[in-house]
Amino acid sequence: MAWKPVGVVVAAALIGAPALAQQKVEIGHLADYSGPTSDVGKPYGEGVADALAYIDKHGGAGGKLPMHVDTRDYGYKVPQAISAYKEWTSHNVAAIFGWGTADTEALIAFVTKDQMPYISGSYAGALTDPVGHADKTAAPYNFFYGPSYSDANRGLIQWAADDWKKKGKPGAPKYVHMGANHPYPNAPKAAGEAYAKELGFEVLPAIQFPLAPGDFTAQCLTLKQSGANYAYLGNTAGSNVSILKACQTAGVDVQFLGNVWGMDENAAKAAGTAANGVAFPLRTSAVWGDKVPGMATVTEVAKMSDPSGTNYRPIHYLAGLCTAFYMSEAIGMAAQKGKVDGPAIAQAFYVKKDWVPKGLEGVCRPSTWTAQDHRPTTEVEVYRVAVGGPTDAPVGELMQKGVIKLEKAAVINLPRKPEWLGW
Amino acid sequence: MASLRPSGDFRTSYAADTAIFDTRASRWACALAVALLCLGPLVLDKYWLSLLIQIGYLGIAALGLNILVGFTGQISIGHAAFFGFGAFASAWVANHTPVPVFFAIPLAGVATTAVGMLFGVPAARLKGLYLAIATLAAQYILQDFFSRADWFTGGVAGTPAAPFRVFGFALDGDQRYFYVVLAYMVVCYLLVANLMRTRDGRALVAVRDHYLSAEMMGINLTKYRTLSFGISSFFAGIGGALYAHYLGFVSVEGFDILVSIQFLGMIIIGGLGSIMGTLMGAVFMTVLPEAMQGATQLVSGSALDRALDLKQNVSYLREMAIGTVIILFLIFEPDGLAHRWRQIKAYWKLYPFSY
Amino acid sequence: MDLTLLGQLLLNGVIVGTLYGVVAMCFVVIYKASQVVNFAQGEFLLIGAWVCWWLLTAYQLPFVWGFLVTLAFMLAFGVLIQVVVLRPLIGEPVIAVIMVTIGLSIVFQALMKWMFGVFAQPFPPIFARESVTIGALEVKTAYVMSVVVSVVVMGGFAYFFKATRLGLAMRATAFDQQVAQSLGVSIRQVFALSWAISAMVSGIAGVVTGMVSGVSSALSLVGIKVFPAVILGGLDSVVGGVVGGVIVGVLENLAHYVDSQFLQWGNMFEIAPFYVLIAILMIKPYGLFGTRDIERV
Repeated sequence: MAWKPVGVVVAAALIGAPALAQQKVEIGHLADYSGPTSDVGKPYGEGVADALAYIDKHGGAGGKLPMHVDTRDYGYKVPQAISAYKEWTSHNVAAIFGWGTADTEALIAFVTKDQMPYISGSYAGALTDPVGHADKTAAPYNFFYGPSYSDANRGLIQWAADDWKKKGKPGAPKYVHMGANHPYPNAPKAAGEAYAKELGFEVLPAIQFPLAPGDFTAQCLTLKQSGANYAYLGNTAGSNVSILKACQTAGVDVQFLGNVWGMDENAAKAAGTAANGVAFPLRTSAVWGDKVPGMATVTEVAKMSDPSGTNYRPIHYLAGLCTAFYMSEAIGMAAQKGKVDGPAIAQAFYVKKDWVPKGLEGVCRPSTWTAQDHRPTTEVEVYRVAVGGPTDAPVGELMQKGVIKLEKAAVINLPRKPEWLGW
Repeated sequence: MASLRPSGDFRTSYAADTAIFDTRASRWACALAVALLCLGPLVLDKYWLSLLIQIGYLGIAALGLNILVGFTGQISIGHAAFFGFGAFASAWVANHTPVPVFFAIPLAGVATTAVGMLFGVPAARLKGLYLAIATLAAQYILQDFFSRADWFTGGVAGTPAAPFRVFGFALDGDQRYFYVVLAYMVVCYLLVANLMRTRDGRALVAVRDHYLSAEMMGINLTKYRTLSFGISSFFAGIGGALYAHYLGFVSVEGFDILVSIQFLGMIIIGGLGSIMGTLMGAVFMTVLPEAMQGATQLVSGSALDRALDLKQNVSYLREMAIGTVIILFLIFEPDGLAHRWRQIKAYWKLYPFSY
Repeated sequence: MDLTLLGQLLLNGVIVGTLYGVVAMCFVVIYKASQVVNFAQGEFLLIGAWVCWWLLTAYQLPFVWGFLVTLAFMLAFGVLIQVVVLRPLIGEPVIAVIMVTIGLSIVFQALMKWMFGVFAQPFPPIFARESVTIGALEVKTAYVMSVVVSVVVMGGFAYFFKATRLGLAMRATAFDQQVAQSLGVSIRQVFALSWAISAMVSGIAGVVTGMVSGVSSALSLVGIKVFPAVILGGLDSVVGGVVGGVIVGVLENLAHYVDSQFLQWGNMFEIAPFYVLIAILMIKPYGLFGTRDIERV
């Protein structure tokens, strides 16, 4: 099967290569374009792929090392992720861009054993501990860009506490976690509820609603009856849209707090006015079209797959872009020191403090990885969705006309507590 | 030629009648295949070894399902839940008790048998679609249990599974674990082949073929139906345990309804009621996505890609191709790969008189 | 005991349950006629929803026209699927046909993502009022429409099966294929018709679900709700499927009520129908309203 002709040739060439500058570095990229998480996986995957193509066009990792990226759509199926990983590790791949909980968790033991840097789209707290304190699993080769799910949840709760105080309401506010009983929504549940209790919230029993969209009137009526003030929606965008719409019909007056993958421009369009006012965390400091210095680079990157430059790029695209730039700069730094292998790349991640990739100032948040702490940032940018009217038109048009607006509400600075590491 | 069977049934002893391998040639072919596979880790790279390991543990689990569906005539859409139960059980036993992984795997199989028989009890009374949907309910109930039972499964964070060790020598890594899986495969397949020639195996087939007559002949339907669920869960549990110790980490995510449907696909495409068919079906269902992925990589960037302007949409084409291959295969060979293989063998044996 | 909440939840259960019942009806039509478990039922909903959405947004058709064109398309689509994919499999083991429907569901999922993208899309606003108040409960107008349409469809089915020749032919085929054939009923026509009807009614259900939750590829998961509904109502009557659907809807909401007020387990909404299902099957192996198969040697 001639399915990896270039890869085989390059891998053979890489054996015993003295001058790395002339060889290509192999990179694996798992994406979900056709599976259940494709609504957020597609923009993120495109962001990573376009960024890597752009970097390669301008010399490669660190400006000197050309890259060969193998983008694999694994459809969120674990067996395909495993076989892709095995294929890559038998062909000297230097680093892998992972995607969601399914593949990251399935490969976590392999990645640690093979010392393969794995930067994922999964921001679970369990991936933040490289050393493995107490009974938590050590994950020294798992990286991600952005606040962890738990920290994002904590940040939103902090914002909620400030919001309650600003509104001048008496008494303790009520917080409820809503989500499916599934690894992704449950990832930050314990952390969020603990922090809410710490800040003086009355934590109500969690309300469950499944990941598949459907009728959630029952949950909304329960929510209304419980008198909650702040509700964290832990599910992915599809079912969040359903529950927002159901709760709008039921007339529930609650401030919804979204999660990183649970609210974006497309979800706001699908939910329409029901999404108005939802607060959610952003991994980047800007959205597409903002006037920041780094947006020029972002526009250039977007041109790699859309030469006209007119496609609107959602927030996940920018997050994927930043992720790719961080990894490629790390590979570049490792190459400069002479070796491009797992431990070298991991060490390269620890070099810079408050690191922003070159050319992306104002877009990517300053991130710091250390050998004891794989949380790149404990600052959470809280944005709010503002939907002004019917959302029939294409997303780009809606954003341009200002029908849907993503407005920065606050930047919450969480303390980098060591006891919050790993969960 | 002594290796060809004469047409007609000329067996002269009971031992010959109940032999697992019909001819000497097939026995030697099997032994040769196993020997060649033993040499596999020396020549194959991780990718192929990993595929073979996947075929291994999925094949063992599919064998269980074939006993239930192919040999006993029941139907189960909840097999992935038992597969997952075996995985979690083995990881739990290895982590929380002093039992080494070597024994944890069979113990997990036994534990899954118990759970399987629990769900098999309603099966005694249900038939057809009702039974299928009861197993669907079992799938969702067990999945829910996995998500909630923190003490057992680590809840939604998953649980790490210890590597396989024999006398302190760790057998992890694709090359070494391959032998573990190969050993289990040989043992399990021989076990099932043996089961089918015992009294109980014949009783299961009788239950499938005409259960009223079987009942009249004195076969206890409830006992055999429940037993069938139990045996099928045993193999699902073993397969799951092997999966757990291969990955080193067990998570709830990997045991949803789509995996159940994949198992069903393996035995249907492989051939119901055929042991070799199970293996062929497992190979088919594991290799099909990989082959399509390979075809995708050939197509992307080529002239066809530019002509149709596919770019990323090639992955949709791949998924559609997988579905279409399954559909076309079943339209042209609804009895499965085993049947087609028997037809091919018969054609060559009787050539040129194969009419 | 919050009785107003309970009342609201029960009412919501009945309304949403009618939608499940409609989907269950489609499933039973196919099962009765050809003993095929259609795993692609969810995808029929999805295709109906996407086609209607596309007609409304790309061509700016008024809703009624878009709806009717969608129905016509689904009718033709059902016939096409039956003729191209399932007709070669008449007479083959049923389990092979089931696997083919699974293959179909894989193909359609990918096709829908390819044609319409991966993002959820909202339906354009169709009704002047988004929701109406029934008692103390705010109900989406789309659901009210679905109840009306379901009743019309049920009435249509009842008339079709009792009073028309074609309906009678279908009932005969479901009862005993060979006898029906020997009396001159064209089995191929009956199968094609059953798939066409099932696809069309699934399209209706898909459009309603799309109106409420937006159209996305996860819509096909509503198809899973079919199974408990079909069992609860029994496989023998199409109307039984509707009853089963209503029971599932009420059960979900009731379970959620009990859970949120007393138990605090959190998962009853999703899992209660399955537990009840197994309990009912233990007592009545042919479902609540199914007739017992009389088996002869």
